[in-house]
Amino acid sequence: MLSATGIEVRYGDHLALRGIDFRARAGEVSAIVGPNGSGKTSLLGAITATVPYRGAVMLNGRDIAGQRPWELAAQRAVLPQAARLAFPFTVLEVVRLGLQAGTSGARDEVPMLALSRVGMTEHAGRSFQDLSGGEAQRVMLARVLAQVWAPVADGQPRWLLLDEPVASLDIAHQLQVMDLARDFARAGGGVVAVMHDLNLTALYSDAVTVLSRGRCLASGHPRDVMTDDTLSEAYGCSLRVSVPPAEGLPYILPQSAAQW
Amino acid sequence: MAELSGVVPPVRNRLGRARALHWGLALALLGCCFLSLQIGAADVSLTALLGKVARGEALGAMERIVLLEIRLPRLAMGAMVGAALAVSGAVMQGLFRNPLADPGIVGVASGAGLGAILAIVLGAMLPGWFLALAGNQLVPWAAFVGGWGTTLLLYRVSTRGGRTSVATMLLAGIALGALAGALSGILVYMADDQQLRDLTFWGLGSLAGASWAKVLAAGPLIAVALCVAMFLGRALNGLALGEATAHHIGIDVQRMKTVAILAVACATGAAVAVSGGIGFIGIVVPHLLRLASGPDHRMLLPNAALLGAALLILADVIARTIIAPGELPIGIVTAVLGAPIFLWILLRRRGFVEV
Amino acid sequence: MTFLSHRTHSAQGFKLFSVLLLAAILALFGWSVADRQARAANPPAAVLSLGGAITEIVYALGQGDRLIARDTTSTYPPEAEALPDVGYVRALSPEGVLSVGPDLILSEEGAGPPEAVEVIREASVPFVTVPERYSAEGVLKKIEVVGAALEVPDRAAVLSEAVGDALEGAMARAEARAGDRKRVLFILSTQGGRITAAGAGTGADALISMAGGVNALSDVEGYKPVSDEALVRAAPDVILMMDRGGDHGITDDALFSMPPLRLTPAGESRSVVRMDGLLLLGFGPRTAEAVDGLSAALYGEGS
Repeated sequence: MLSATGIEVRYGDHLALRGIDFRARAGEVSAIVGPNGSGKTSLLGAITATVPYRGAVMLNGRDIAGQRPWELAAQRAVLPQAARLAFPFTVLEVVRLGLQAGTSGARDEVPMLALSRVGMTEHAGRSFQDLSGGEAQRVMLARVLAQVWAPVADGQPRWLLLDEPVASLDIAHQLQVMDLARDFARAGGGVVAVMHDLNLTALYSDAVTVLSRGRCLASGHPRDVMTDDTLSEAYGCSLRVSVPPAEGLPYILPQSAAQW
Repeated sequence: MAELSGVVPPVRNRLGRARALHWGLALALLGCCFLSLQIGAADVSLTALLGKVARGEALGAMERIVLLEIRLPRLAMGAMVGAALAVSGAVMQGLFRNPLADPGIVGVASGAGLGAILAIVLGAMLPGWFLALAGNQLVPWAAFVGGWGTTLLLYRVSTRGGRTSVATMLLAGIALGALAGALSGILVYMADDQQLRDLTFWGLGSLAGASWAKVLAAGPLIAVALCVAMFLGRALNGLALGEATAHHIGIDVQRMKTVAILAVACATGAAVAVSGGIGFIGIVVPHLLRLASGPDHRMLLPNAALLGAALLILADVIARTIIAPGELPIGIVTAVLGAPIFLWILLRRRGFVEV
Repeated sequence: MTFLSHRTHSAQGFKLFSVLLLAAILALFGWSVADRQARAANPPAAVLSLGGAITEIVYALGQGDRLIARDTTSTYPPEAEALPDVGYVRALSPEGVLSVGPDLILSEEGAGPPEAVEVIREASVPFVTVPERYSAEGVLKKIEVVGAALEVPDRAAVLSEAVGDALEGAMARAEARAGDRKRVLFILSTQGGRITAAGAGTGADALISMAGGVNALSDVEGYKPVSDEALVRAAPDVILMMDRGGDHGITDDALFSMPPLRLTPAGESRSVVRMDGLLLLGFGPRTAEAVDGLSAALYGEGS
């Protein structure tokens, strides 16, 4: 269980999060959605102890505030939105960096296995700095996977905290990455993902939290949360949610103002 | 692993290459040490001396002085200073995530320069007992205190709420450097003819002032700082991904920054204090090693210590033999060797999109 | 005189000490130092001279054949330049100095770095520092010190008398020539358009007054970069510079096109005197020549 209560994040005078409660269960993919500036990344920043926050974040029953960086690293891995690498490390060396936390039962083959999961094995020897945006994103995901390779360790679930994991990927790789996330959750781990694509969110998530202007608008199963009213209010534009009978999952269509 | 059977790693392990390089560099360092003891302006050589010892003959006073009081302390100081500058450069580049950073960024060089100039120009105003106590070591100690003090000040300025901003440090370093430069300028104006010449030679850097006293004063400082720096490899690797990601993979970024800055201030401060300003080692050595065996700091740092020591010893051999019996300031030799390499680095970098 | 005898005594003491030290090493290691002892008992035969004026004095004493090496500033007489050069006196290489095998080192003030000098002293090579004072007496003192160190005091006395007479004559002639005293500005360098000139307490200051001139910049101490306005206020009648021979020097046109100089009397009359640096500032045996030369250049050969 990952729970955050009464989270406030402030940047100078700007209050980015105004007291949010958030809960994610192991075994599920929990999505955080909302328009730009709604506080998605701030919430993930608080959960990962990257930004200063007020409130309490509990990871597997322990407050993260008192834990050392390496203790946290053994329980969760974080995929940032974009990473610029300072030196010409190779792809494999970058994936190994995640292993250095040393507590993931670091076996030599883990980095190569992680690379093969994201379909980047043949690029292992290339310089990371030479990769395209999408390739770099997948290598970063492999690094994150290598860090928490086993979804459950010592009876405790481990966590993948992903900030827009499919942002720069083509459609096939979007599905590949989301499949990986869902597999991790199905194997007992926990996944929290900040998402932009509402349809992928509907397709893959077990729980959705909708943020708007630093507040939580709704949370729950996609079927219950992703409604015309909630999404239109959150994003400030008209959205039509339809539920094709075959899958039983919501499908969101943007509407022009005139049609609404 | 069935999953991997089709995908044999196509990558050559660069860490392995770096380890091989490590032993190669250790051998090269030994070679440079031998060269440094073997040749020089005086007609004294290590082999001849060892031959005498083997034959049970005693050594002449000249041989003892040249080898034990001149070449050996020079060798020790060259090794110390070279290793200190190269490792400090590598650490700073890792910390600032920029391959062109050098120890000067944390204000060590400008602070040490100001300290040295203060001692040279105003030293005579100090009370006599203090001068007697300091003796020849006044300028080096003033340089060390100046470099160390400037770095601490810079660190203080750029640390808020327990977090050190590397960007603030960079900017404050430029401001403090300008201030130190201006103060030095005022002192230069106050200096007399003799002091001006002392300043010029201090600025160029030299190992000609090597002595056991200096080796014993600076050696422990540099040794401790370098030993500490060797443990920063993993953390600096993580930092290559950015501060946030380094934290996410389990690195105490703030503690690492504190340790790195203090170690660099200590090593560079001591090095600059005993040898003056010796340029380019801090940038060229780490860069050459990254080209040769990749950027992994776990091997880059020890290799930088070896290559830095070897190169500076070699530069010193050149400096003191090329116009023998005279001697070039070693800063000139490292600049002549280093500047073209540095330009080559810049030209190569133009091809890349990054920065 | 007391200073002089103290110096030589300490040099003797050093030699005595070195013999004892060598004897101790001999006893410990059974190595023969016979040839070194023999050398130490005779007047020093292998002399290293550090300082242009000192080298000149050694040659003037007829002891040039005892020199084995020199420093960079020792450029006169021309045969000195054939000697090995151990570098600049403030940046000596201890090994380089020892490698030429001196049994006596004569040095001007300020030899360094201190550690290098320490090692050289440790090697039991007598190291005599010759005092520097910018005056006629200073020149004579140098001759005495050098003569004593070389153990040729009689020759030194003869040279001292000749040089003393020449200096007296030159200064008297200069005094006679000088009517309306000219203000002279010694410019050390014009690097980067910034003029560095000689204030009070410098060799140039002393030589200018010995030649019957007035240092235009006597209100500052030492060699200093001078602001444009201070230059105009100094109002020199004549500019004095070192003659660096060819490419190093600045041409008259370039010199007087510098705005502050154009506004001075010297700039209006384009008066500039160039003299050899070692002759001008060395305060060696040729100082009388320098005084004569400068006063003639300032006031003309006549009267």
